[in-house]
Amino acid sequence: MFHVALKGVLARKARLFLTSIAVVLGTAFLSGTYIFSDTLTTTFDQLFADIYKNTDGYVRSSKVIDAGFGQEERQFIPISTIDLVRNIPGVSGAAGNIQAFARIIGKDGKPVGESGIGPPTFGSSISDYKGELWVISRGVLPAKPDELAIDDVTAKKEKFNIGDTVKVVAAGGSRAFKLVGIARYGDVRAPGGATFALFDIKTASEFLTKSGYVDAVLLQGDGTLSDDALADKITASLPNDLNIETLTGAQITQETQNDVGEGLSFFSTLLSVFSFIALGVGCFVIYNVFSITAAQRQRENALFRAIGASKRQITQAMLIEAIAVGIVGSITGLFAGVLLAQGLSALLRVTGIELPPGKLVFTQQTISTVLIVGMVVTVISAILPALRAGKVPPLAAMRSTALDTAGSIGRRVGVALAFATAGLGVLLAVIQGADNVLLGIAILLVFIAVLIAGPAVARPISLFIGRPAARLRGITGTMARQNAARNPKRTSRTAAPVLIGVALVMAVTVLASTIRAEITDIFGKQFTGDFAINADDRFFGGFSPSLADDINALPEVQRASGLGVSLANVELGGENESKFVTVIDPKTIDGIFDIGLINKSPQVLTKNGIFVSEKTALNNSLVEGSTVIVSLSDGSKYDLIVQGIYVRDQLAGGFTVSRELFVGTAVSRFDAAIFVLKKDGAKDSSIRESLESIIKKYGTGKLLSKSEYIERQASQVNQLLGLIYGLLFLSVIIAIVGIIITLLLSVHERQREIGLMRAVGMTKSQVRTTVRYESVITSLLGAVTGILLGLGLGWVVIFSLRDQGIKRFTVPTSGTLVILILSFIVGVIAAAYPARKATQVDLLDALAMT
Amino acid sequence: MENSKALSAGACPADPIISHSSFVSCPFFNFRTYDRNVEFPIVKDSVAAAAKHAIKQYGSGDEVIYALNDISVDFASGQFTAIMGPSGSGKSTLMHCIAGLDQLTSGSVLIDGLDLSTLTDKELTLMRRERVGFIFQAFNLVPTLSAEENILLPLLLGNKTGDSEWIKKVIDTVGLSNRLTHRPSELSGGQQQRVAVARALATQPRIIFADEPTGNVDSTTGTEILTFMRRAVDELGQTIVMVTHDPLSAAFADRIIFLADGKIVDEMLEPSAAKVLDRMKSLGN
Ligand SMILES: Nc1ncnc2c1ncn2[C@@H]1O[C@H](COP(=O)(O)OP(=O)(O)OP(=O)(O)O)[C@@H](O)[C@H]1O
Ligand SMILES: [Mg+2]
Repeated sequence: MFHVALKGVLARKARLFLTSIAVVLGTAFLSGTYIFSDTLTTTFDQLFADIYKNTDGYVRSSKVIDAGFGQEERQFIPISTIDLVRNIPGVSGAAGNIQAFARIIGKDGKPVGESGIGPPTFGSSISDYKGELWVISRGVLPAKPDELAIDDVTAKKEKFNIGDTVKVVAAGGSRAFKLVGIARYGDVRAPGGATFALFDIKTASEFLTKSGYVDAVLLQGDGTLSDDALADKITASLPNDLNIETLTGAQITQETQNDVGEGLSFFSTLLSVFSFIALGVGCFVIYNVFSITAAQRQRENALFRAIGASKRQITQAMLIEAIAVGIVGSITGLFAGVLLAQGLSALLRVTGIELPPGKLVFTQQTISTVLIVGMVVTVISAILPALRAGKVPPLAAMRSTALDTAGSIGRRVGVALAFATAGLGVLLAVIQGADNVLLGIAILLVFIAVLIAGPAVARPISLFIGRPAARLRGITGTMARQNAARNPKRTSRTAAPVLIGVALVMAVTVLASTIRAEITDIFGKQFTGDFAINADDRFFGGFSPSLADDINALPEVQRASGLGVSLANVELGGENESKFVTVIDPKTIDGIFDIGLINKSPQVLTKNGIFVSEKTALNNSLVEGSTVIVSLSDGSKYDLIVQGIYVRDQLAGGFTVSRELFVGTAVSRFDAAIFVLKKDGAKDSSIRESLESIIKKYGTGKLLSKSEYIERQASQVNQLLGLIYGLLFLSVIIAIVGIIITLLLSVHERQREIGLMRAVGMTKSQVRTTVRYESVITSLLGAVTGILLGLGLGWVVIFSLRDQGIKRFTVPTSGTLVILILSFIVGVIAAAYPARKATQVDLLDALAMT
Repeated sequence: MENSKALSAGACPADPIISHSSFVSCPFFNFRTYDRNVEFPIVKDSVAAAAKHAIKQYGSGDEVIYALNDISVDFASGQFTAIMGPSGSGKSTLMHCIAGLDQLTSGSVLIDGLDLSTLTDKELTLMRRERVGFIFQAFNLVPTLSAEENILLPLLLGNKTGDSEWIKKVIDTVGLSNRLTHRPSELSGGQQQRVAVARALATQPRIIFADEPTGNVDSTTGTEILTFMRRAVDELGQTIVMVTHDPLSAAFADRIIFLADGKIVDEMLEPSAAKVLDRMKSLGN
């Protein structure tokens, strides 16, 4: 039987090919994701290993507040630490390290690089230290307060030459420097497309961050001590009140790799979640293809049975074919993944994130996972059709066509109803207050119910959806409608991937539009000023507090208030937790930004006071006058008195303090946004002009009107939405391929019919129309049911977020319409090739078939 | 024959002189026109279809097979012609070539005086839709369409309603009035063939081709179907060409053409079953 099965596989290469495509797509995405993630991780690991290649020790402050997810606030250390370290026996050299925001202004007066999007713009230090990461390739090291070096790429791009004057904007304001050197970063000209302005350590400290301080000290040993011993010795040698810690070169490399790895692993988890969704969708396609081909081979299998093959042998033969398909598909998918990974890298490059050059990483684990998953998925998808094929009675050899039916519709609907009821029951339990986790189960149950009910309802729904086609297109439309309805199982299995994809897209769209509406609402209510300046640089803290002061000095401005966020440790009920605290300027915020203080004006907030949200107050039994212990990231500790309680906590969170609190501390504080209220009668255009000129001086920030600002906040959701749509696109592609394969198989099966119709006068374009509308009806069947399911799913997700303050449910009408139109287009696209195949059916061959 | 002429002339009083150019310039794509005769000019010709020096060869070199070896034949309007001959003699091939389903290697085929080789694929399709009727041995019907839709299929494809009185008459004649909403799978083999006959007649085609139309049904049903076809010729003036192996069936025709090895070897007018059997014996079959 094995021999026969194998012969069967080889004899039908076309079918093997079609079935394999589904497997190939599913596994290609998986493989591509793995290869891409591995490559990314390896590339970055290599990058950091290179950076710290010559570093034996790394000295930094031990004072840090870590909020997890790579969010931490670490203190600077005094610049004098460099000399202290250098003089410790066993250290052969040391240099300060600073990396901060700085933007080079091009010759045309425009800042180089885009703020907000695109790679970051850095300011950093450079010295003659032996372990220095930067190498001067032309010119000399910057040594004086008015000298700088820039990276090779930026120099070339902006046509800067040694001796030119280069303007740079950084924390210390806008300044002109003399270009004395062009630098390269190890082997690369500049890492990741970022721009670099490089200064001697003193200038860097004063101009880029906080005068007299550096981020860390890098050092090299003289070889007499091991790195570990040297690190211990340095920590012991430095004064205790400096609060420093020393890491070995290996440790800092590892730590940085881990930090970046954490960020990347979130990204790769996201990618693999969606490639597993794609694979799940692919399962349907594989299952469908096996079912259709099994039905088409019914006669052949029956003939085998008639001449003495056992049920088991038939089933085995089918499974052997599945294994062959699995092997061919998975191996092809594995290599197709390489192309996909390259595509993803290219995509990153387009968005401006240039990866350091490196080979694609193809690990043993990728190979085994992809092959095993591919095989397992294929065989599992083939089991049911194979068992069914085994059950074919020998008599079926005498029957002619292999029309499938929905089986017992009553039983099917019954089972589906049981699942749906169970799902809705769980849902009801959650609404009554059960754990939100159960929602996942409810969703799963409903999905299963829909998929089971599919074949039972596919016929009536297809006939309904096809009605306009029959009306508009006459007989071709009628035929398409009947074709879509004739094999309800097949149609519903073909529509299932579309359904899953659309349901997910719909749910995400519902969620996004709800959140958008929520954000618009929140900002609309809280922000009552006229303009906002948004610090849209992702990589650095934001604006220096002096920007708000400068704006307040403008004659057209009635008031401007900066709003920032800082990390702090908050002691509540004896437990110490890192929290984000909102930092406001109580003197100016009134009438610009409303946090909903109960019966108070924000002006009552003093240096030693704190506002807490109503929720925080309730949970921790805080009242006005209670004390909250807060420590800032420099280690300073304060007993703050609750001076007010507010209700609008969606933006401000649980704690709000005054900017005064930070005055005199070692913590550098930034404003994330500045809100501006204009004077009555001030002209918008003139105030805009004044504000723009101040922003230009600071080199960062974007001026927005009230509505622009609100829109910008809301549209942040769109970015996430775009990413998710992009990832779901994988599933959509598989759904399209599923429709194509099914149509091809159907066309193949209906050759005789097509031949007959061509003989009695159907033109080729009418043949195409018939196939096209069948495809569109199938696609719309998936879309319509998917939209309904997605709406439900979206509602459930939003319901589960009710504690997060989302209390509305917005149905995205235009989104729904777009999905319907796209499904129509998907149907048309999917039909193109099968329709062409249908017109190529040879008339005489078709008629000669009996 | 008189009957048929009267029918065409009556339906299309202003018949233009046929030529290829006039054929093309007629409103070929005007689907809204319900008078079929406007689109295909009718020739006042007693010949519905003809083959001239038709040669159809398969293969090449030493292995060349002549399925049709220089056949010239006319099919007169209003005449019921049967084609007989041993298996492999070229009967189906001849029919397919004349009906525009297949192309000749050389020679020409005319339907209503139009040379099929000058038509594009689309024109050929429309020609089949409007001027030619088909009855095959089996699998005549589209399984997803009702009996009525199957009967009207060529008209529906052209977005036409056809001559409703005529269609009613056809349906009544074949006795399907109470089966119109049924699917082919719900009809017996004989009923299915009758639907096929009705479809072939519905468009009032110039000529109907039938390839062993009774090959798959029992003799009673076969006789029924042949009777319908005979009546269509006698009462409605149809032109029919039928391939058959059965002398009894052939006896329903006005004329029999005998093929062997791709050639016409004999012809018989006003046949009877006995005469046909005799002739077949003498032809060594
Ligand atoms: N596609 C083809 N390729 C090669 N030879 C062909 C092809 N189609 C038909 N023939 C040959 O042409 C000849 C005529 O075939 P045709 O089908 O016309 O015979 P027929 O008279 O209809 O036979 P039957 O009574 O069995 O239906 C036969 O010898 C056949 O083998
Ligand atoms: Mg034949």
